Amino acid sequence: MRILLIEDDQKTAEYISRGFAEAGHVCEVVRDGRDGLFQLTREPYDVAIVDRMLPGLDGLSLVKALRAARVSTPALFLTSIGGVDDRVDGLEAGGDDYLVKPFAFSELAARVNALARRPPVQEHQTMLKVADLELDLVRRQVTRAGQAIDLQPREFTLLEVLMRGEGRVLTRTMLLERVWDFHFDPKTSVVETHISRLRAKIDRPFGTQLLYTVRNTGYSLHAPR
Amino acid sequence: MRRASLQRSTPFRLALTFGCLVLIAFLVAGGIAYRMLDRGLARQLDASVNETYSVVASTYAQNDVEDLTAAVNTYSSLHSADRSLFALQDPSGKSLAGNFAPPALADGLSTIDPMKLGIDDNSLYRVRAGTVGGNRLVVGQSFADVERLSTIQLMSFLWAATFVVVAAIGGGAFLAIRAQSRLDAVAGTMFDVSNGQLDRRIPLTGNGDDIDVVSGQINQALDRLAALVEGMRQVSADIAHELKTPLNRLKMTLDEAVDRDERGEDVSQLLSDANSESDQINGTFDALLRISQIEAGARKARFRANDLKAIVALLGEIYVDVAGDMGHSLEISPFGDMQATVMGDQELLTQMFANLVENAIRHCPRGSAIRVELARQGGAIVFTVCDNGPGIPAEERDNVFRRLYRLDKSRTTSGSGLGLSLVRAVADLHSAEIFLEDNHPGVRISVAIPAYG
Repeated sequence: MRILLIEDDQKTAEYISRGFAEAGHVCEVVRDGRDGLFQLTREPYDVAIVDRMLPGLDGLSLVKALRAARVSTPALFLTSIGGVDDRVDGLEAGGDDYLVKPFAFSELAARVNALARRPPVQEHQTMLKVADLELDLVRRQVTRAGQAIDLQPREFTLLEVLMRGEGRVLTRTMLLERVWDFHFDPKTSVVETHISRLRAKIDRPFGTQLLYTVRNTGYSLHAPR
Repeated sequence: MRRASLQRSTPFRLALTFGCLVLIAFLVAGGIAYRMLDRGLARQLDASVNETYSVVASTYAQNDVEDLTAAVNTYSSLHSADRSLFALQDPSGKSLAGNFAPPALADGLSTIDPMKLGIDDNSLYRVRAGTVGGNRLVVGQSFADVERLSTIQLMSFLWAATFVVVAAIGGGAFLAIRAQSRLDAVAGTMFDVSNGQLDRRIPLTGNGDDIDVVSGQINQALDRLAALVEGMRQVSADIAHELKTPLNRLKMTLDEAVDRDERGEDVSQLLSDANSESDQINGTFDALLRISQIEAGARKARFRANDLKAIVALLGEIYVDVAGDMGHSLEISPFGDMQATVMGDQELLTQMFANLVENAIRHCPRGSAIRVELARQGGAIVFTVCDNGPGIPAEERDNVFRRLYRLDKSRTTSGSGLGLSLVRAVADLHSAEIFLEDNHPGVRISVAIPAYG
């Protein structure tokens, strides 16, 4: 995966690029907003990680200019501006995701993976399938090994998000945002509770585990390896 | 303290301007009255001279100058004291009777200087000359009476003017000094406030005049300012205190990790502890930032109509299981089909309600019963969370909304002490009211948000 990181703080840039390099990706670092825009319009990247406050050209204007130039490289805002409005501003400007500093590298990696491999629009997909687990988006039914499973509406959404991200790690915050539309950190074990309820329905009766916990990071749904 | 000089002070200028205007108006009015009186007296004098002339002339019979001569003599002797002039001359110019020798005069009324008549007098004379049966008759009266009355009028006018000037200056000065002293009190208070004495207030006279109204408004602004400054001072102190502890723990953990690392021991557990410690510090900062951003109010621009039923239903779906896992029972009272739309920010409303539910879940001992209600009361939609947990002592109820404040017994449970401050910030943004009551036992906390539509 080829990643462009536009970040002016040298320490943060080193921390991130070293992390991606260790994971086997190519991560190029640019420290000025204008240089970043130039690079993105000239070269193909899988993901751009953009700081909000940059010398030359701020992150928000950079992504706006990028979208105006019809470059669709997925962009993730990485910023210490954790304001309640700033995330909305970032997404409205054409960003695809938003992560507030300080962050755990595993969170960033999970989000970048999700962005890079986000499959091309699959609107007509009506059936999701992982091993013997099937989810029918039209009839809103779930079966495993041919056996119908009764899910609450929100459990259905949780499973849908996990299945769409098959094989990828979905962090706690990503699930909170996508399943419950929570943009804050709840003080109780909301995610853990619902994951364990879901597990009790889709995994436990069938003996083979599909829903895995990734320590200190999040959850992943995939066929046994 | 910088004071405006007397000449530049508004009350003084107003008093001076007003005094000058009164004086000018009085002078103009007095001048007009003086002129009118003068003219009236002159006309009266003319009429009197004409009348005397007619009376004297009427004594002349056909070609008989004797009666006329006698009349002139009688009149001149009768009126010699009141400075009247009479003279009768025959056609040759010889004096027949009278008390003065008239110079050559045109017929009719004229004013003459007494010097020309050889009379020792300061006043002018009004005379009427005419011919009666070929004889020349001259009758005159002194202006002295007219002048005396004029002088009396002028003197009374001058005395009145003096009084008006004194009253205008004195009254103006009195009013100016009074207004100035009150403005000085305002300026003095503001000077003290800007020097850091935030508890100073402008004294009010209580008569409800404009200065009182303005002073009252300034005092209100000062109250708000003082509250904000106090809040800020409190928060800075709290932050310093609250963050000092985790920062110290972080440093101790890292010190220990360095020591153990030097001895070649495994430090992964210590590093993981340090990591979660720093996460907590970050969490506190994020929450503080979020609260101050909410309080700044910029979020209001994004307000939309929100159905609280949907938010509460979502929270029910989420937290019934979470509460169940912690050994509580969470019940959402059915709210049916009521109208529960408010103008607001969905994300913040969700967070506020979630915070209240989570507070009950986290601070109640296992096995508590928590109930969530949504109801319409008058013009407000009221969201309520009640529990039968340990409750909050009455004297602590105001404090729990303070930033970083935690009850002593909740020091052991996790949390930054910012949850309820955030609730209050969101409630304030939505012009909502929070009620914290005793649920006998437990806590009953409600948020009343103005209904929309």
